[in-house]
Amino acid sequence: MTRRPARKIAAYAGVTAVALLAGLALGRPEPVAVAAPLAVLVVAGLAAARDPELDVGATVDRDRAIVGDDVTVEVRLRAHRAVDRLELLLVVPPGLAGPAGVARPWALAVALRAGEERTIPVTLACRRWGAYRLGDLHLRAHDRFRLLTWEQHLDLRTPLKVFPQPEALRALVRPFETQVSTGSQVSRHRGDGIEFADIRPFLPGDRPRSINWRATARRGVPWVNERHPERTTEVVLFLDSFVDVRGERGSTLDLAVGAAASLAAAYLRQRDRVGLVSFGGFVQWLQPGSGQATLYRLLDTLMETQVFATVAWKGIRHLPPRTLPPKALVVAITPLLDERAVAALFDLLARGYDLAVVEVSPLAGTPAAGRGSGGLKPSPPESGGWEPLARRVWALERETLRHRYQRLGAAVVEWTEEVHLQQVLLEVEACRRHARIAPG
Amino acid sequence: MPPARPDRTRLACRLAAVAVAGALALVPLAQVDGPARAALAWLAAAGVLLAAGAAWPLPSLLGPALVVLLAEHVVVLLGRGGQVDAAAPLVGAGVLLYAELACWAQEARPTVHDEPAVTRARVAVLAVSVAGALGLGALVLLAAGLPAGDGLTRLAVGVVAATLTVGLVAAVARRTSTRRT
Repeated sequence: MTRRPARKIAAYAGVTAVALLAGLALGRPEPVAVAAPLAVLVVAGLAAARDPELDVGATVDRDRAIVGDDVTVEVRLRAHRAVDRLELLLVVPPGLAGPAGVARPWALAVALRAGEERTIPVTLACRRWGAYRLGDLHLRAHDRFRLLTWEQHLDLRTPLKVFPQPEALRALVRPFETQVSTGSQVSRHRGDGIEFADIRPFLPGDRPRSINWRATARRGVPWVNERHPERTTEVVLFLDSFVDVRGERGSTLDLAVGAAASLAAAYLRQRDRVGLVSFGGFVQWLQPGSGQATLYRLLDTLMETQVFATVAWKGIRHLPPRTLPPKALVVAITPLLDERAVAALFDLLARGYDLAVVEVSPLAGTPAAGRGSGGLKPSPPESGGWEPLARRVWALERETLRHRYQRLGAAVVEWTEEVHLQQVLLEVEACRRHARIAPG
Repeated sequence: MPPARPDRTRLACRLAAVAVAGALALVPLAQVDGPARAALAWLAAAGVLLAAGAAWPLPSLLGPALVVLLAEHVVVLLGRGGQVDAAAPLVGAGVLLYAELACWAQEARPTVHDEPAVTRARVAVLAVSVAGALGLGALVLLAAGLPAGDGLTRLAVGVVAATLTVGLVAAVARRTSTRRT
């Protein structure tokens, strides 16, 4: 602990010296009577002050939570010597809210007797997803007369991961191609399965149980049923973390991470294999996998997503080949603002990947009033009237970009905050039904 | 766990400190007449301003504020002649009360929620300190009234006592420099 003297010691000592000098000079006891209490307080207080001896620990009641949950940090204190006042300051990370309701340091002052143990629960509300470390504690102890201060910083960091609130998704974007292993998705190919596909004439080697007896009786020669096999699909969530546009009501990255988490959970529930590419200044990836363990790995990686500013050019050729397996559906969640992410998506299309783009609108977090395209007649620049025109030009550029993706066979749907993710996915699926690579 | 309270403790301490300082500065005005009163009024105004500054944003003004309040009292003493001022212990207690309240106002932070026990203990320590200051001041005045030889002897005793006191305070205070324990 670092011990610091209070500023008042110097003031009291100085006043005492002046008063004693005045008393001597005037030959009167009154100045001495006025200053004596100050001197006695300093001497007695400092003589009685002892360094505090404390044991401090902190625990969090859980290591994983969902946005909106409350977590409790318990700070345990044990004093070997009495402490007249102990300030306990818990640093609340941005994204969590302390007992005061805001993300700011929260402090409590307690008094501890010798040998006393105290457990102080501090409830924090999880406001934003992310990986946090709790237990950043600052201690400040005072003696009885507040002449000395002891300060200590403890880094009892306990991890806490806050996951975004999962959205209920009933319909997902289906890949064009399935993999060879058995799963829940009905393949477009024909083979052994449950879903009926067609009938055809019997060929040597067909199993008798495949014979369609009605068709056989009608045509006089054996006909067999063909079926669609159930296969797995591989889905790669492509998260653009180059840019985060923050507004009053959230940010594009918040929406994107929430959507990625919901999609990952929904696909994995259907026994598909899901991978992740967090493509930004800091590139992270997870090869497609299935099961609960994969979900937790994906969520853990998503929680560590952050915008890392860099001007270095990043391309998908830097990714390990197995991260983007052939025939995989790539669901890109991006605000389509950074040139590198835009180019990477074109690269994916050029390599023949099945791509669906959920475009998180950069205006998602801004007030609705600010999104209008403005009037048709621009005001002169001196009256600040070019903003609506600039917005329109910008919107046209984005529309052109979307159109370029669509000409290459990718479905692109804009996602604004008011729209539920499910509706966006339905729009993407509808887009994909009609999407064809444009000639030329 | 209750949320941090607003700045009530700090505000109460500041107002109380300024009130005590105002009383300490204004009471001597009633004890003098004539041209000294105008000079004392300026001193009182300076004392109140410094005291308010020390209680509000400038804690480094605590020492000057105490010195000015003490100087005002000394000016009144100069006009009293040889008569001992029996109210000196009250002035001493008031000075201590003002200084402690001003320091408390500086320590109280709106983000820190003090448990009631801590506040009660602080008030108790403050009350005992003020009561002790009253008693100590009275003792000093009583000791000054004791027969202790002629003027030269008294002066020598006073010089030695003052030197020892200042030396003791300085020695104790010097040991409190910032250090890691």
